Amino acid sequence: MADLTEDRIAGYIATRLPGATEVAVTALGRISGGASRETYRLKLRYRDAGGQTVERPLILRRDPPASLIDTERRIEFCAYKAFRGSAVPVPEMLWLEEDSDALDYPFFIAEELTGFESAPGGLLVEPYLSQREKLGLRKWTILGEISRADPTSLGLTGVMEPVAPGGCWRRELDYWEGVLDADEVEPQPIIRAAIRWLRANPPPPAQKISVVHGDYRTGNFLYDGAGEIHGVLDWEMAHLGDPLEDLGWGLNRIWCWGRDDLRGALLPRDDAIAIWERASGLAANRGALHWWELFNCVKGQGIWVSGAKAWMDGATRDPILVISAWRMMNSQDRAALELMGRL
Amino acid sequence: MKPDIEAVIGQVSQAMAQSFAPQAANPYLGSQIFMSSMILGMAVEEADRAAHRRAEENRAIRGLFQRSAGLGLDGELAARVAELAAGEDSDLRVSALEAGNSVLRAALIDLHAAVEARADPAARALNAAIWAELALSTERRRFAGASF
Repeated sequence: MADLTEDRIAGYIATRLPGATEVAVTALGRISGGASRETYRLKLRYRDAGGQTVERPLILRRDPPASLIDTERRIEFCAYKAFRGSAVPVPEMLWLEEDSDALDYPFFIAEELTGFESAPGGLLVEPYLSQREKLGLRKWTILGEISRADPTSLGLTGVMEPVAPGGCWRRELDYWEGVLDADEVEPQPIIRAAIRWLRANPPPPAQKISVVHGDYRTGNFLYDGAGEIHGVLDWEMAHLGDPLEDLGWGLNRIWCWGRDDLRGALLPRDDAIAIWERASGLAANRGALHWWELFNCVKGQGIWVSGAKAWMDGATRDPILVISAWRMMNSQDRAALELMGRL
Repeated sequence: MKPDIEAVIGQVSQAMAQSFAPQAANPYLGSQIFMSSMILGMAVEEADRAAHRRAEENRAIRGLFQRSAGLGLDGELAARVAELAAGEDSDLRVSALEAGNSVLRAALIDLHAAVEARADPAARALNAAIWAELALSTERRRFAGASF
């Protein structure tokens, strides 16, 4: 297998830009943050059919040999494209390659939104610290827009697996319990107890079938120092389902990066819920939301456990998987205990 | 053994985070070095407590198994937890304690499921004790830098 080089990427892009000449890629460099896919930053330069020089900063996301989660890149690609130009800010998707011929593994290429911050830790210092309330308003308003959107109008019902309103919870719980069964590297008495409770106390049917981002949390959007959000990223777990699933994931205690009660290091829980309800036009039934919040502890543990197993099997040695295994698995257990009134 | 393992690894972790990572010409490499330093920092926390927390937890779980003796559990489960309750940690290496801990926690899952399905006072008391032990188990594993 050859190295991923600027020339190889330029050669691929040239095939996707008919009429373009002098196609060149420079400044290729891997960046952190893509635990589910390898993420690279690069600069593209070419001369278009009219002779004009075009320069674009791009992102290439390539499947790794192993990762935290197994996902379909086409679904991720289509989700980005579906929301492009809507009230949900996303980068422009350019090319999807599902074969491994061009660059050894499937990948897609998108525009890079530059000059913004994404790290959760950034919210704990200025100039972002004083913008947290505004960012929280934007964060949960955008999630409300995702929940409000019609998957059929977006063209996503042909891409994502359909689900009935009454079947959302069981499908998701079955899937993530299966992940735990397959990848569990040590017994999980707290999460197993949570699963028993979830099965014994199912939520009401979803009030509507929405696009569920699947990983909508602080860390997966680009923000600035004026309190604006410029791009929602990491749609690799997007699917159709109960919109409360997304709301519950973002409220998860493990994302309280400031070690306080501000959800996503931005807003108190009730404020976030109220903003989402206004933006989505939907109701966050507290009993149903509680179910989805606890479910998301199961899902989270499934993700951390899979990462631990991938590291232990030698499929990848990314240090982020060790950090998540050691630190996040325990935080996830504590979040579940709190929701069950046992902490 | 001097200097202490914790002091040595802690110093290496600090040097990686404060000196090596910022000087890495490649940002990705820099972030990998920084995350590796975080791992070493957590290893320092774990090194000192590793044997103690496992031995303490194994003892606590065996105590729960002993309390289940009079509950009239299903025969196979009753025999399994009775056998485990009679065990002890004679090998204090962390790997041995960890292996024993996994066996005990797997059995605890089954005991918990059996107990929580019952409404009699003895079962309810044991259920509460299991939950209390599970909460303590997260305190034992907690790292200083954790978000929650």
